[in-house]
Amino acid sequence: MIKDLFDVKRWEAFLKVLPTEYIPGFIMTLKVALAGLLLALVLGVIFGILSTMKIKICQFLSRAYVEFFQNTPLVVQVFFYYNCLPFVIGGRVPKFWLGVIGVGIYHGAYIAEVIRTGIEAVPKGQFDAAYSQGFGYLQTMWYIILPQTMKMILPPLTNQALNLVKNTSVLAMVAGMDLMYHADSWGGDRNFFVQAYLPCALLYFAICFPLARLARYLEIRSKQIPSAKKAKGVA
Amino acid sequence: MKTNIWKASKILAATAILSMALSGCQGSDSGSTTTAAPAADSATTAADSATSGSADDTTAASGDVTADVQKIIDAGVLKVGTKVDVPKFGLQNTGTGEMEGFEVDLAYEIAGKIFGCTAEEAKEKKLIAFQGVTAKTRGPLLDNGEVDLVIATYTITEERKESWNFSDPYYTDAVGLLVLKDSGIQSCADLDGKVIAVSQGSTTKKVFQEYLDEQGIDVTPEFEEFDGYPSMAAALASKNVDVFSVDRAILAGYNDDTTIILDDRFAEQDYGVASKLDNKGLAELVNGVVNDLKSSGKIDQMLKDWGIE
Repeated sequence: MIKDLFDVKRWEAFLKVLPTEYIPGFIMTLKVALAGLLLALVLGVIFGILSTMKIKICQFLSRAYVEFFQNTPLVVQVFFYYNCLPFVIGGRVPKFWLGVIGVGIYHGAYIAEVIRTGIEAVPKGQFDAAYSQGFGYLQTMWYIILPQTMKMILPPLTNQALNLVKNTSVLAMVAGMDLMYHADSWGGDRNFFVQAYLPCALLYFAICFPLARLARYLEIRSKQIPSAKKAKGVA
Repeated sequence: MKTNIWKASKILAATAILSMALSGCQGSDSGSTTTAAPAADSATTAADSATSGSADDTTAASGDVTADVQKIIDAGVLKVGTKVDVPKFGLQNTGTGEMEGFEVDLAYEIAGKIFGCTAEEAKEKKLIAFQGVTAKTRGPLLDNGEVDLVIATYTITEERKESWNFSDPYYTDAVGLLVLKDSGIQSCADLDGKVIAVSQGSTTKKVFQEYLDEQGIDVTPEFEEFDGYPSMAAALASKNVDVFSVDRAILAGYNDDTTIILDDRFAEQDYGVASKLDNKGLAELVNGVVNDLKSSGKIDQMLKDWGIE
């Protein structure tokens, strides 16, 4: 393996396929990850709030969604979308949407839980105080509860976002044209697995690491006690 | 505190690198270790005993076997990678768990030669440990010593010869195209913009393009690679792909009343028995067996027995 690692010929072969295989794969993974994250956040916020509502049907819907998608493997879900959805909708599911739906719905369930626990962690008095000031439910959520929730859920939320990026690699199993697919394909073709997987891992790292740093920065910033805005023109 | 964590992480990294290096070494060194041959003075050559069928036991191996072959004799078992999902070539019988097929029989012929007995005896004594391989796993499994030989519809190419030893071809196959009957695809000319499923780590994609160029057919299909034939068959059934293209020998196992194999037949390709590049002695022995079977005409009989065209 060590011998393979320093084989210049193999690295030259890798550089040749970098623009034709890896870059398109990287872009695909990036697109799927971003759109998937957006979908997951939207679903997570909706179902997270639904589960904290005092209405039975809302709670039930949210529970059903979370439990089902949290407790079944992502690979099974993606294979299901790939092999079964065409019979339902009568056509192919584009690979991009396959990925977005796959990781979006799956991580949406996790994020819903993160948001639910975040909301429940805000002291009840905050609700009462907001209502007493005449805030409605949505106003209370938007102005009082969610800003406080954000601080608390940032670390687990980041966790989900990073997992989401990495989980886009299940697409490789259904020829998803993503980064892992191209890396695996080229590696299997030439048997240069070190050169195939190492840069592949680094490219995933290149997406995840900045995301993790950004989250850390936001986390630190949110912990700082907000200073009063300086009013202009006051002596 | 901080320095402690830093130290710990350095140790972790060091162990990781060390273990990687160790596991790498194991693979490459194993070929050169020579164990004293206990059967060195039993003068009958393996070749004689194999053809005459009068071999008394596995100790009948000749004194001039190479170290790599001797190692297999000492282990008492030949590790062979075959396909488990290709009818007539290498298929695992779901009832008995036994491996069956032309390539399996070929493996027994080789085992007979190595252990100095007949193929039938090798089968009775279970001198082969079979392991299922796929297009993608067969190379790495050879390299890390999990299998001694790969006899798994493995096409001989110049590129692959740089990585492994190949015997002379024992069968020539061609790539075919399997489509759904209701897709309306009649030939290669209908394949513009269609999606073709090919096997990961196979040569199909390349040779199909060459065939198109040769025939002067101007179509540009898309290719999608899959790891394993069942997932390709599933993708065809769900119409996620239009064509399932692998070697015809393999396609025959997936052809049913909803599908047809197109007449297009391209890229004649030779299957060879592969072994690890270091194991030159083993490769030579295997090649001898293949050529003996070919010159004696036995290989044709074996193919006929399995109903292979």
